[in-house]
Amino acid sequence: MKPVLHTEDLTVAFGGVKACNGISLDVYEGELLGLIGPNGAGKTTFINAVTGFVPWSGEVQFDGSSLKGLPPHRIAHRGLSRTWQSLELFGDISVRANLEVAATKLTPMMAIRDYFGSSERVAERVDETLAVLEMEDIVDERPDDLSMGYRKLVGVARALVAQTKLVLLDEPAAGLDRNETTWLAERLRQVIDFGISVLLVDHDMGLVLNVSDRIHVIDFGKTIAIGSPSEIRDNEAVIGAYLGAGGGDE
Amino acid sequence: METYLQFMLLGLGSGVIFAGLALGLVLTYRASGVVNFAHGAIAMYSTYIFSSLVDDGQYPIPPLPNLLSMIEAVLGWFGIQVDLPDIPPFVQLGDPWSWPMALIGALATAGLLGFLFHYLVFRPLRYQPPLSKVVASVGLMLMLQAAIVVRFSNRPRNVAGLLPQDGVDVLGTTVPADRFYLLAAILVATALLYLVFQRTKFGIKTRAAAENEQFATLLGISADRIAAVNWILAGILAGLVGILAAPITGLNPLNMTLFIIPALGAALVARFQSFWIAVWVGLAIGAGQSLLQIMEIRLPWIPDINLSQGLPLVVIAVAMMARGQVLPSRGAIERGRLPMALPTRIRPRLMTFWILFAAAILIWAPFVWRQATINTLIGAVLALSLIVVTGFSGHISLAQLSLAGIAAFMLSSLATDAGWPFPLAPIFAALVATGFGIVIGVPALRVRGASLAIITLAAGVAIEVFLFKSDGWFAGDSTRHVADPSLFGIEFGPNSPFFFGDGKVPSPAFGLFVLFMFTLAFVAVIRLRQSMLGEQMLALRANERAAAAAGVNVTSIKLAAFGIASFLAGIGGTLTAYKFGTFNMASFGVLGSLSVFAFSYLGGIATVSGSLYAGSLFPESIGTLAFEKLFFPLGRYEAYLAGLFLIVTTLVQPEGIDVFDRRERRRIGWGFVLLWRKATGNPDRTKPDWVERIYPEPKHKKGMRPSPPATVDAATTHEDGGS
Repeated sequence: MKPVLHTEDLTVAFGGVKACNGISLDVYEGELLGLIGPNGAGKTTFINAVTGFVPWSGEVQFDGSSLKGLPPHRIAHRGLSRTWQSLELFGDISVRANLEVAATKLTPMMAIRDYFGSSERVAERVDETLAVLEMEDIVDERPDDLSMGYRKLVGVARALVAQTKLVLLDEPAAGLDRNETTWLAERLRQVIDFGISVLLVDHDMGLVLNVSDRIHVIDFGKTIAIGSPSEIRDNEAVIGAYLGAGGGDE
Repeated sequence: METYLQFMLLGLGSGVIFAGLALGLVLTYRASGVVNFAHGAIAMYSTYIFSSLVDDGQYPIPPLPNLLSMIEAVLGWFGIQVDLPDIPPFVQLGDPWSWPMALIGALATAGLLGFLFHYLVFRPLRYQPPLSKVVASVGLMLMLQAAIVVRFSNRPRNVAGLLPQDGVDVLGTTVPADRFYLLAAILVATALLYLVFQRTKFGIKTRAAAENEQFATLLGISADRIAAVNWILAGILAGLVGILAAPITGLNPLNMTLFIIPALGAALVARFQSFWIAVWVGLAIGAGQSLLQIMEIRLPWIPDINLSQGLPLVVIAVAMMARGQVLPSRGAIERGRLPMALPTRIRPRLMTFWILFAAAILIWAPFVWRQATINTLIGAVLALSLIVVTGFSGHISLAQLSLAGIAAFMLSSLATDAGWPFPLAPIFAALVATGFGIVIGVPALRVRGASLAIITLAAGVAIEVFLFKSDGWFAGDSTRHVADPSLFGIEFGPNSPFFFGDGKVPSPAFGLFVLFMFTLAFVAVIRLRQSMLGEQMLALRANERAAAAAGVNVTSIKLAAFGIASFLAGIGGTLTAYKFGTFNMASFGVLGSLSVFAFSYLGGIATVSGSLYAGSLFPESIGTLAFEKLFFPLGRYEAYLAGLFLIVTTLVQPEGIDVFDRRERRRIGWGFVLLWRKATGNPDRTKPDWVERIYPEPKHKKGMRPSPPATVDAATTHEDGGS
């Protein structure tokens, strides 16, 4: 199998602090990779780096080509999308418009043709995504008027609706109750069935251990373990760094 | 060489005002996160108070809406003439005051203004997005400026000098002593402020609140009270420098109000943080401007293009380009939302009705109404331009009328001087405005919110002084002829013959032409709101970061918004030029830009139909004409009321008249339907479609938001996940 995302020695430095210190990881096609680590381990920085929001050194290859120097929207156009820990939805336009914006790769020509009403809209893809994530009844709402669970879902939907090959999910379960988390886990497995790879960052160990195919553990910007959920559960280094004396947060 | 030194020292006079205002800007920003565009207006206002007290012993009463004159007007409809008391414009407080008393009176006013700004305007707005705060402070600026124009007229006023003027010899040149007293005063003030902020508990509390308002509040610091004290201090400081320096800089309602621009430049370089940097840069701008003035005269190789006036813009642009988003964030709580961008649909039957109605007025109504309709429609085109750039893409532009002026000037050059035929000349003129607009939009790639308002305001002033007023480019004449438009031998300018009517200017033919242009622009912007481009602009407005991550090319969309808006402004400018038959730079000044912004915001900045309300608020438009016919002539009160209502709008109805009107139409219309059904015994409670179309109510209020369905059987698998 070939990796859809391949990072080698990815390093992000803020002044003297290295938020990511030489992280090398692979996400394979059709895989759900969990990325975990204690607070401040560099998980969100990793996502920010890969999606073009902070400068980095090392190498990031997506779908066989380097992402070096690409601005965020170009990276998104290649099929790499993300969600945000703090959601960052377009709060005052409808859910459908949220998805339409993300689904469109707007070129000047296309903008003009669309303006004069002669370009095919992305409605089909939007409808499909809405159906998969069972959110047809909220299409006309504005995200500001939705519950946290639905807002998270809109974030995920927005990341999936573009012709996405890989989606990076930043803490999708934060702020959700147990029922909603379970429901989210199901949706994530569904996403994999559609041939989209997922990199999942979350604090909810239950969720990550449960839905991931493989898990990558980082601490202080460095990789400390890679393996299947059961291997990670028994890994001494991980227990030491992450689970601590309590033996898990569930 | 001595002359240059002398001029630099002379320039310290205005430099001290810039520095004092910049200090106040830093104070209020640190205290409450507000960039106060009306700070120069506080200085101007208090200086007028001082001057009025010293010269005449009179204290001007700010113009207040007098309900009694409303009653007079209403009684007048029934032929009853009554003379109810008016609010007097001044209170006579004995003989002319001595200067120390007058100074105290004026500074008390300045402090009170600072306090009222905070207490009545910015405190209620503290959780609102930056856009609302900028709009409110622009409203205050317009209002104070207009209040003084109403009371004292536009004429420059001589202010009694308090500081000794005798010459002092410095390095072989003579400079009046007041410059040095002023310099000493501002440096002492800065040192005091610096010590207070470093050493006293109050200063530390202010700094804590500036660092993170939320945490400071949790620590029991009343961010509110601290802000109030800082606002009062800033107000007094502004009043003081205004009064002391007015004999040097001269005083009229506009000049000191616009000293805010160099002051903003100085505050920007200081990142709205450092008192010392703000003061030194303010002084340097003053000295530099004076130096450039003499260099323009003395040195033949320096073009005579008011370079000195452009210095603040250069400082602002360099500060922004070098630093990007310079305003430090405050960890403030923000829970307000931007004006809702409700879509406007194209409803062919309704639109045809209104177009025919407007055409009927243009053809048959008396010429005052014809003129008012034309003014309304041109105003609406200008408002559409702001709806695109501010309403859709979320960028404040305070230079739209200046852009319109560029198009108007180009039209006079192309159509009249170069003889270009009709559609080509205005289109090309609007395209030139588009080019300038895109250049103004470039800073928007790095900054937004208040910073962008600052740079566009400075750009508007720069266009005025560089392009309209200087001899360099636009040949310096303030009025130029614009020929009537004609196509295929049919003329449709304001002086063109029309087969029907009273033959007065403006001709109905011109009215129909304006109506046609407005309709085109209106439909074009409705279409933009529905198109993918429009959706991307709204996404950008909501969240720039997320828009980039979702594949929106932020750079292109921003420049597109500025470009489209500038083209519309350009069209508005060409229509204005045709209307007057001349290019007159007086109709495209900076205050005009601010008023256009105010009217557009009032009408409804984020909805296309808001442009018509905006148009009806312009001077001599249908709305104002109707008001004047019904009640009393507005005259100089118009700008004052515009500022006042702008502030009220941001406070109580941030979405503007249009959304307010839609919501009320929905409420009242639906109420009538229910009443009718009750009367006819119809138990049906379903809402007809039009109810939602007029104004879509949020379906879920807080506390009853929909949640995703919970799947019970999957919960077991989840339980396994724990260790």
